[in-house]
Amino acid sequence: MKIRLFAGTLFLLVVLVAVAWQAARQPRPVALTPTISGKEEYCLTCHADLPEISASHPVESFGCVLCHGGERLALDADLAHSTMRGGSNPSDLAVAGLSCGGSDCHSGSPELQRDHVGRVLTSIQTTYAGAIASLRFSFGAQDSLAARQAIAPVQALHPPAGNQDQRPQYLEAFDPAAESNPFLQSFGENCLNCHLRAEALPGNEYARFTGCAACHPPTAGSDLSEPDRQPVHQLTTAIPYTQCNACHNRGNYDLRTMSFVPRPDAPADRLHDYYQPITQFTRCEYELDCLDCHTRTEAMGDGYLYNDQQEQQYVQCKTCHGTLTEPPLTRTIRNEADLALRLAYLNPDVPLQIGDTIVVTDKGEPMWNLRQLTDGSFEMVTKVTHVRYPLPLVQGSACTQKPEEQESRYCHACHAVER
Amino acid sequence: MRPSFFHHLHPPTIPASQSRFRYTLGAGGYSVFLTLVLLVSGALLMFYYVPTPAEAGPSIQMITFLVPFGALVRNLHYWSAQILVVVAAIHMLRVIFTGAYNSPRRFNYLLGLSLFVLALFLDFTGYVLRWDEGVRWALVAGTNLVDSIPWIGPGLYRLVMGASQPGPAALTRFYTWHIFGLVVLLLGVGVWHIFRVRRDGGIAVPPPEQRSTPQRISRFELVRREGLAALIGTAVLLLVSAFIPAPLAPPMSEVTSQAADSSAPWFFLWVQQLLKSGDAFWMGVFVPLVVLAVLGAIPYLLPAVKPDELGRWFPRSGRPAQVLALILVLAVLGLTLAAALAPPA
Amino acid sequence: MPATLSNAKTPSLPRRDFLTLAWKSLLAISGALSFAGMLRFLSHEPYPSPVTKFDLGLADDFPPGTVARIPEASAIVLHGEQGLVAYSLVCPHLGCTVESQKDGFECPCHGSRFDAQGSLVRGPASQGLRILKLEVDQAGHLILDTAA
Repeated sequence: MKIRLFAGTLFLLVVLVAVAWQAARQPRPVALTPTISGKEEYCLTCHADLPEISASHPVESFGCVLCHGGERLALDADLAHSTMRGGSNPSDLAVAGLSCGGSDCHSGSPELQRDHVGRVLTSIQTTYAGAIASLRFSFGAQDSLAARQAIAPVQALHPPAGNQDQRPQYLEAFDPAAESNPFLQSFGENCLNCHLRAEALPGNEYARFTGCAACHPPTAGSDLSEPDRQPVHQLTTAIPYTQCNACHNRGNYDLRTMSFVPRPDAPADRLHDYYQPITQFTRCEYELDCLDCHTRTEAMGDGYLYNDQQEQQYVQCKTCHGTLTEPPLTRTIRNEADLALRLAYLNPDVPLQIGDTIVVTDKGEPMWNLRQLTDGSFEMVTKVTHVRYPLPLVQGSACTQKPEEQESRYCHACHAVER
Repeated sequence: MRPSFFHHLHPPTIPASQSRFRYTLGAGGYSVFLTLVLLVSGALLMFYYVPTPAEAGPSIQMITFLVPFGALVRNLHYWSAQILVVVAAIHMLRVIFTGAYNSPRRFNYLLGLSLFVLALFLDFTGYVLRWDEGVRWALVAGTNLVDSIPWIGPGLYRLVMGASQPGPAALTRFYTWHIFGLVVLLLGVGVWHIFRVRRDGGIAVPPPEQRSTPQRISRFELVRREGLAALIGTAVLLLVSAFIPAPLAPPMSEVTSQAADSSAPWFFLWVQQLLKSGDAFWMGVFVPLVVLAVLGAIPYLLPAVKPDELGRWFPRSGRPAQVLALILVLAVLGLTLAAALAPPA
Repeated sequence: MPATLSNAKTPSLPRRDFLTLAWKSLLAISGALSFAGMLRFLSHEPYPSPVTKFDLGLADDFPPGTVARIPEASAIVLHGEQGLVAYSLVCPHLGCTVESQKDGFECPCHGSRFDAQGSLVRGPASQGLRILKLEVDQAGHLILDTAA
C-alpha cells in the first residue's frame, strides 16, 4: 500500500509540474486601456508588432476594439476574433457605420463635412450607378441613361438643389437575377468587381480591401509582381496613384462576352505604360498623384447621388490653371475651423496657416495644397510625394483656346503628351 | 475518540469483498470527490463571475484568460461536472447490476436517483451561466419545455425565468439556483444518502460464503484507499483540465446570430434527438419523466434479488432489472450518438 | 392551557385523534400558504417586458417582391400577391429561430421545415410559422407587432 501511495503522490507532483509548465507557456497578457472607451483590452498581447494605424488614431486613445470589435478580453485567437466587425476590415461598408461612424467620429455633422460614412454611400464609386444605368439602357431594360439602380439601395442625403436638378433622390438595388436579358445577368455576375462593396479580384495588382479601406490604407509596395502584396495596417489621406490603380486602369470590359479582360502587362513606367492606349493626358496627369487634383467629394461623394462618373467628377484643367480671362478661384483662410486647415493638418508637408490664400473649386472645395505665394504666383505641394511645383496660369500665356471650349479635352488637343 | 460523522462513514472495519474496486468501481466515492472539487472550484469562480447579461461573458473571459490559473479552475469545474454525470451514472448501474437496490436499500436508491437528477440540473444551470452563443438555443429550447407542460407550464416558466423570455431575470435565477438552491439540496440529500449507506448495513451484503466469517479491512486501510483514489483522481482531473479547455463562445448577442450552436449540452442530446421526432411535451418532458419513473420503480415493482445471490455482479434473479437498465442505457446512448453524428442543419 | 390539562385528565381517544389530526392539518395549511406565498414572491418580473412593437420605417420601402428580415423582431416581412405579410421566425415547436433555406425555412434545433410562405412542411413542429400583426400608422410607417 505504501508503495502505491508513493507512486500516487509522485504522479500528482509530476502532473502539477506539467500544469505549471503549461501555465508558464501562456503569453503574458498585455493590457491597454484606451482613453476613449476606458475599457481594458488585450489585443496587444499578440498584435504588439502592428504599426500605429495613423497619427489621428493613436492606439492609446482608440485601442483596437473601438474600430475592430472582437472580444477584448479573450486571448484565444478564435474567440477573440469571432465578433470582429467586417472580419479583418472594419471599414467594409456593411459595418463602417459602426466601426468608423458615430457622431463624434466619421458620422459627424454634415456642415463640418464630418459625415464621411454617410457621404461615401452616395459616391459613384459605391453605387456604380452610371455603369449599371448605361448597361441597362443599352440592353433595353430602361428607357433613359438616368441612374435608377445601385449596388445597394441608397437615399440621397440632400434634397434636390433646384427644379433643374436631374440627380436621383433614391437608387434601388440592382438585382441581376431579376433581369430578363442574359447579358445583364452576366454583367451582374462578371463585371461588378470594382465598386467599394466588392471584394477585390484575385491577384497582386488588384490588392485592396473593401469600403473606406479600399483607398485609405496603402497597399504595400509598388512592385506588382511581388507576392502577397497586401494593404498595410495604416490609414492615410495621402493616397498614392498606385492605390487608385487597384481598380482604375486595370483592364477593360468586353461587352460581347460581358467579361472583364485584365490588361496583360504590369505597368511600371507611368508615362508609357500607365494609361490605356487611346487615352489623352498631359504632364501633370502622369507626374502628380490622382488626388493632387481630384477632390475628396469627387471620390468620396458629397451626399448627392449622381447619374454617372462624369457628373460627379468636375475638376478640370481650368480649376487650377484658370482661363485666359480669369485666374483660378481663390479663398483666404480666415479662421481655424476652415476645412482647408483641417485637411492640411493631416499632411504636415503643406504648411498652411490662417491668412493664406488657396485655390478653391467652383463648388467651393479647398484645393488646400495650392497656395498663393507673396508674389502673387501659385505653388502646388504634392500630397504624397511632397514636391513643390510652380502653378502656370493660362491667363497671360500664349494659349489660343476659344472661350467656350474650356473642358479638359480641349486642353488635351494641344497639351497631350506623346508616348 | 468522540464519534463523528466521519467515523459514522468509516466504521472500525468493513467487509473486504465489498470494498474492492472490482465491486464498487469506486463510483460512489469518486462522486463525493468530484462534488468536493466542484464546491471548491465553484466557490473560487464566484470571486470573479458576474451574473448579468452584459458582464457574464466578459467575466468568464477574464477568468479564462487573465486570472492566474483561472482557466485551470474553470476547466476543473467544468470537467468535474461532466465526469460527475458519467461517474454517477456508472454508480447507479453498478447498484442495479449487483442488485444492491434490494430492501433495505430501496429508499437510499431513490435518494441516489434524486441526486443524479440534481446533478443534471446543476450541470444545465451551470452551462447556462456561460450566457454565450453556445448556450442560446439550449436555453431557449430547454426552458420552453417547461412552458409546454399542460396547465402549469406557462406559470412554471414565469417562475423559473422571472420573465416572458430569457433575459437578465433568468440569468439571476439560474445563478441563484446553481450556486445556492440546488447546491443546498444536493448537499442535504447527499449527506442523507451516505448516512443511509451505513444505516442500511454498509455498501452491500457480502456474498453468502463470506457472511459468517468475512474478511474485513480496517478503517485505516479504507482511508488509505480513499486517499490513494483521491490522489489519482486529482492528478487525472488536473491533467485533463490543464490541456482540454472548457468550451466558450462569444457572449450572447441581443439579436439572433447565426453563430449560435444548435446542439443541446451532451447530457441532454438524447432528449434533443427525441424532440426531433415529436411534440415538445411528450418527447421532451413526458418521456424523460417516464425513464426516471421506470428507474425509480425498479426496487419496488420488480422481483427482489434472492438473498443468497447478493454481493456479486449480475445476480440471476435480478435479470429483469438488469435487462431493463441495459435497454434504457442503450437507448439513451443510441439517441445521444444519433444526435451527435447528425449533420448540422 | 387549562383546557389541555383537562384533556389529559380525562383521556378521550377519538378526541385526541381529532386534535392530532387538527394540528397536523393546520400545520399543513400553514405550510401550503407559505409555499403559495413563496411562489407569489417568485412570480414578480423584475425587468420590463421586451418591446413587441417594431417601427419598420415607411411602408413604401417594402415594394412588391420585398423579402425583408427583421432580426431584432425575429421576423420576416414578405410583400407577395396577398400584400404585406409578416411571419415570426420563432419555431412554434420549441422557440429556436428558424434559418432561411433555398425553398423555405429550417429550424436548427430539431429540424422542423417550413415553406417560403411559412406553412409547415415537416415536423416535429405541429403548425406553421406564426403570422404576425402588421399595420400602417398615420405617418405611413409599417408597425410590426410580435405579441399579436
